[in-house]
Amino acid sequence: MTQLRRNVKLDQLICWWSIPIFYQFFGLIFGYLTKIMGPPIPGPNLTLEGITAFTLGNARHMQIGIVLLAISLGFASMGTGVIVVQMRRMSGPGPVLAYCYLACGAAAALPGCLFCGLLFAVSVFRPDRDPQIIAVLYEMGFVGFIGCLGCFATQYLVFALAIFLDRRAIFPKWLGYMTLWNLVTELIAAPVWIFRSGPYAWNGLISFYLGVLIFVVWIVCLITWLKKAIKNQPLEEFDPACTGTLLV
Amino acid sequence: MNLTDQRICLWLVPVFGVVLLSAFGVAGVIPPPSPTLTAQEVANFYRDNLGQIRAGMITVNLCGLMFIPFYMVIVVQMQRMAHPSRAFAYSYLSAAASAGSIFLFADLAWSIAAFRPERDPQLIMMLNDLAWMAFISPVGFIMAQNTFLALGIYMDARRQPVFPRWVAHFNILTALLMAPGAFALMFREGPLAWDGSLAFGLHLGTYAVYIAVMFFVVRSALNHQAREAGAAA
Repeated sequence: MTQLRRNVKLDQLICWWSIPIFYQFFGLIFGYLTKIMGPPIPGPNLTLEGITAFTLGNARHMQIGIVLLAISLGFASMGTGVIVVQMRRMSGPGPVLAYCYLACGAAAALPGCLFCGLLFAVSVFRPDRDPQIIAVLYEMGFVGFIGCLGCFATQYLVFALAIFLDRRAIFPKWLGYMTLWNLVTELIAAPVWIFRSGPYAWNGLISFYLGVLIFVVWIVCLITWLKKAIKNQPLEEFDPACTGTLLV
Repeated sequence: MNLTDQRICLWLVPVFGVVLLSAFGVAGVIPPPSPTLTAQEVANFYRDNLGQIRAGMITVNLCGLMFIPFYMVIVVQMQRMAHPSRAFAYSYLSAAASAGSIFLFADLAWSIAAFRPERDPQLIMMLNDLAWMAFISPVGFIMAQNTFLALGIYMDARRQPVFPRWVAHFNILTALLMAPGAFALMFREGPLAWDGSLAFGLHLGTYAVYIAVMFFVVRSALNHQAREAGAAA
């Protein structure tokens, strides 16, 4: 057999690349196209006219954004896949925490993201819809999106726990503490189900903006140190029978 | 090695393929009611076909996840591939599970619309819109599954690959052919509407052909696994 150049980490690297690419899409969809994550994002106290203006005034962009979401969201599971692979390398925690991470990621797709997109897609689908219905869809969309706590809280919890229990230090311990801070963002988002204005509303300074800020810092660190974890994975770990991927 | 579990999961496909197809037919989803219907016409559709819609949607509710065992056979087969890691297999599992929950969500919206057909027609139409969009437009999940499987096949370094190379091309091709479904949330008429030739016809036709072809592909992979296990024993 001829000598072929192999890269045994190619599958993990493809999955790794999907994470920054997906978050570019995510920012484009929620920050720019649909304007759901503004800024400034419209709040719970908007008038009926304000709600219809926000929803219908941006209808075409909103639809393009949600079409992109419907196509790209499925690919977010590649990020979960490679993180699970790295979590399974850990020594100390068994596979249970990795499987928890996988299950939470799978569970989060609908309540944590697509639900909101579908509701806004429905509300802009017919501009002549009763404004009261548009208002209900608007509220369900926003409060359900920002107020979806559990899938992510559990995911952050098991990820942090795994990092703390891991004796091989696949990820640095401080990333575990940062992940706990990310868990705190789900706690400070909990009041969005009660408050209709102020810092704890779904567009509030604490519940939304502080949460997003912490998340962005966390995801950048996760992406960076996940890459390092893949890069530092020793070649001896790879089964010689799994001869790796042919690059040529 | 005993492959009975995987074979049972595989044979659920033709059984529940027929069940789900008939349930959708009974419920009046195939062919789909047009998105251009007025609210009153949508409400009339639910009122006039109430028994059939409920029967169909309860069946879909019960049986809608019966393809999950088949997808998990594919996950197991992906784990047989000579890969350095199981990243694609885990990704596939996650995408399949998400897709299942979204499919059932669409079924819930249809069923809720049929629960109280005397409701304000505007609300029935809203639930009907939600059901159709949740059913037709989130194509990204099956596209992702097909892509992960295709990548897995391309990178399978076994001397005798688990799936032949053409299956990877086939998965990529079918993923692309299903993509127009996503546009159903934008258009009320034309080929990209939820009853259109591309978003509905091409999308679901491709899915049906895909499942049928993959049934035989997976069956032959299982036969191969059985022969391999026999040779090793």
